[in-house]
Amino acid sequence: MRFDLEPAYILHTRSYRESSLILEAFSREQGRVALVARGARGSRSRWKNMLQPFRPLLLSWSQRGEMGTLTAADQVAAPPSLMAEPLFCGIYANELLMRFLQRSDPHPGLFDRYRDLLGELAGGRAPQAPLRLFEKHLLEAAGFGLLLDREPGSGEPVEADAWYQYVPESGPQKRAASGSDGDLLVSGSALLALQSGVIAPRHHRELKGLMRHLIAHYLGDRPLKSQSLFYES
Amino acid sequence: MSQEPLLDQFIESLRCLPGVGPKSAQRMALHLLERDRNGGRHLATVLEAAMERIGRCSRCRNLTEQETCAICANDQRDRSLLCIVESPSDVIAIEHATGYQGQYFVLMGRLSPLDGIGPAELGLDALADRLAGQPPGEMIIATNPTVEGEATAFYLQRMARKHDIPISRIAHGVPLGGELEFTDQSTIAHAFSSRQRVES
Repeated sequence: MRFDLEPAYILHTRSYRESSLILEAFSREQGRVALVARGARGSRSRWKNMLQPFRPLLLSWSQRGEMGTLTAADQVAAPPSLMAEPLFCGIYANELLMRFLQRSDPHPGLFDRYRDLLGELAGGRAPQAPLRLFEKHLLEAAGFGLLLDREPGSGEPVEADAWYQYVPESGPQKRAASGSDGDLLVSGSALLALQSGVIAPRHHRELKGLMRHLIAHYLGDRPLKSQSLFYES
Repeated sequence: MSQEPLLDQFIESLRCLPGVGPKSAQRMALHLLERDRNGGRHLATVLEAAMERIGRCSRCRNLTEQETCAICANDQRDRSLLCIVESPSDVIAIEHATGYQGQYFVLMGRLSPLDGIGPAELGLDALADRLAGQPPGEMIIATNPTVEGEATAFYLQRMARKHDIPISRIAHGVPLGGELEFTDQSTIAHAFSSRQRVES
């Protein structure tokens, strides 16, 4: 099978043999694919410097079996300039995509969200809100869509001024605000904000805690590594 | 291949060298056996000694057969300058190309969370101890301009800032003798945004 000029981002590269690379790319139409870029690390490579994460690329490859062979790569635009914290956020997003997406499972909607996320990170906006929405869409694409606006079972709508405990794989359950026995409580207004996509700064902390909890639940006993970048040494 | 297990083993062992496939391994082995036995014996003793004795410098983690490497032990070098690089080959490159007279710290890798390498795996606590114990007057960050190298650089900046150590980074730009037309977009963008004023 041949694929031509597919919009894609590279999520991760690793050295392969003497001068080649194995790329994990996220393409819009084909989903996550693993590609061998022969000779990409050599001094006379045509793709020198180009096969890096966060650059908007058009990739062409041929595929037989699980691993494809890169035949052409073009950079379509200047890459978003990710420095400092936004760079860490980008690496975090890449790790999420690597962990949650199966190979050759296309998610064009999520691809567009990812492109927008990189733009927002590079634009110097506070990263919290775009990251939370990206996480929500990623979980949805991976088949773990979140119930945010009503309680499971009863179907009662979530009330903005009530408190909820979010039970993974189920949904929000109303709790008395004071009855915190180590459970993670989230306000109804934060849940509704995540549902609507308009997240105010006052919700950042709660929603970060909620998403971290849910992501850790789905990833099991191999936690995300990129979170360690954010901690002070 | 043949009925000569030692010869086969010899050829097979040579393949651990980078860029050496079955054909070149065979050529090397036959060359040593047929034409240069003394060279082969010499190689064997030096190889064994190197594998046994060369370890890591206790201060900068560069390769050395001493407790501290020649650069760290040299009193003539400027101890107020500390250059952070990813690998021993970067030290060699800088030593050959520049007149840098400060000291080094070799990371032996870079932060690469997707490969499972975070600050702890990279052993950055050793560097943190050094920054706290003997803070340099300037920390020069010379990690590679890749995404992982950039992430490492930012992490190092944050570490240095905690100890109030002035930080600099080596410049990225158009290679000397190169042409703008054939330089990739990101490099040109970087070179442009970090252009320098020329004193007139």
